[in-house]
Amino acid sequence: MAMTLQERLPEPSNPVGIDGLEFIEFATSQPQALGALLRKMGFAPVARHRSREVVLYRQGPMNLIVNAHDAKEPTPEIKAIALRVRDAGQAWAHALALGAWEMPTRASAMELNIPGIHGVGDSLIYFVDRYRDFSIYDVDFVYEQHAERHPPALAGLHYFGVVQSIYGERTRDWVDFYRNLFGFSVLPEGKYFGVLPKGTLLESPCHKFYLQLIEPPPGSEDIHWEEALVRIGLGAPDVPAATRALQSRGVVFVDRGPVQPSEKGALTQVYLGAVTFELVVSHLGDKAL
Amino acid sequence: MNLDHFGMDTITLAGPLEGKLRAMRAGGFSQVMLSANDLAGHPGGPDAAVQAVRASGLRVTGFQVLRDFEGLSGHLHAYKVDIAKAMLSMCRALGARVLLACSSTSSHATGDTGALTRDLQKLAMLAVPYGIRIAYEALSWGRHVNEYPQAWQIVADADRANLGLALDSFHMLATGTGRDALEEIDPAKIFLVQLADFMWREIRSREERIDTARHFRVFPGEGVHSADVGELVRALDRLGYRGDYSFEVFNDDYTQLPVGLVTERARRSVKWLTDQVSRRSLPLRGAAA
Repeated sequence: MAMTLQERLPEPSNPVGIDGLEFIEFATSQPQALGALLRKMGFAPVARHRSREVVLYRQGPMNLIVNAHDAKEPTPEIKAIALRVRDAGQAWAHALALGAWEMPTRASAMELNIPGIHGVGDSLIYFVDRYRDFSIYDVDFVYEQHAERHPPALAGLHYFGVVQSIYGERTRDWVDFYRNLFGFSVLPEGKYFGVLPKGTLLESPCHKFYLQLIEPPPGSEDIHWEEALVRIGLGAPDVPAATRALQSRGVVFVDRGPVQPSEKGALTQVYLGAVTFELVVSHLGDKAL
Repeated sequence: MNLDHFGMDTITLAGPLEGKLRAMRAGGFSQVMLSANDLAGHPGGPDAAVQAVRASGLRVTGFQVLRDFEGLSGHLHAYKVDIAKAMLSMCRALGARVLLACSSTSSHATGDTGALTRDLQKLAMLAVPYGIRIAYEALSWGRHVNEYPQAWQIVADADRANLGLALDSFHMLATGTGRDALEEIDPAKIFLVQLADFMWREIRSREERIDTARHFRVFPGEGVHSADVGELVRALDRLGYRGDYSFEVFNDDYTQLPVGLVTERARRSVKWLTDQVSRRSLPLRGAAA
């Protein structure tokens, strides 16, 4: 009896059994423009939603959704991250019991009932538990006829994490949010990855991805700053090789001031008014994601 | 310390919201503590109230009041979570950074501090995405928590960045709670201080406390505990508290007077308080040098 109870109890350090990122969702009213950029970055469209203007892109272990359904703004925004969890319903109930906000009933990319909560700004956090022997995309999406369903990753690219901008003096609030809902932990100060050493890094309890919280830099009172998911971090085992591979596809990297492509990381220029990708040296892709 | 550190509560003044805001502004105040009824009862609807507040140029000190939130269970808890969410949404619309939550008076509420702590953690979590801080106040007729050291214990145990304490001189005077325990409090965790006095020496019963609190408060310097109120502000100043002070003066006479007369009394009260602090702190500085 004691054994059974023990088995059922979630690990205290990973209360909802997070097991990586299932997908990241962009919203834009100009999905072709974003699609072209994603192709440059090595993603390939593999499936279309049965009834909505939603496309699934893939690259190696990464799923990325471009949602144009009801999108008003051309500028692409990261509207959701989907967490792989042990039990989506349980994860949702757990989050609500601790004070998360139930996801608004507005259209999500999926018709499948994927539970979710409010994240930062007007973004959402979804919970997905069917990612092993059954894919959520099999229900809502139709695969492109001639497309490869699992296109390989360019230079071993994989999701490293997501960067979240926050208002000044809000780091501790958001650390509380991710730590208490999901068991994220703060990496010690000074431990950072990539070429943008700032903010606070939170490690997922499954050790498969990171969230980076960025407060406005000092002296930036005049720049527009809001709380949102702002950038995807892509891990690469060999950053210079990945940078070269992407450059050969026409991706332009920032190389001025302190931000230079290096062995640790690189940052693309800003595309479509808001989209950048950060490369970070990482061997997370070696794990079975 | 100067006029900018003090604000008035709308509940002290008679008439429509716009008139109250104008009078405060004309009285030289730069901030206002709003009440939920300012929105809910506005003849033009909540949006008109929000518009009036924004147009006034006054900074919003905070928003009151969430009552009887903690310690409930089952459907009562679920109901209060809904109320809390509605109030947080109102705060957000107003640009209020602080929501005042008073200790529960409900006979249905448990006194188990573990449960009270968990509920306040949940309230704090609900407030994170909106960037709102919860200021928990010991109401002098609270059922289980009625003195500020108890409220502080819960806030400290809850250990959430956006959960802090609201101190109200009226409640401290009504229960005769001393200032010694202030020394235990981290001044950064005091999110709001409300000031008021009253006109008689002692309050003997719970009923008398409620009656006095709701009808017979006066501004600091006008009541019979002037020395205590002055000492409190000096103690907070010494402790390192640099946040806002708001006059929470429920007074049946003041809501029968022209608003300008009442803001003038508030203004005199600020003068009296700042004199108390500066007069008494000068010799201390001298002694230190």
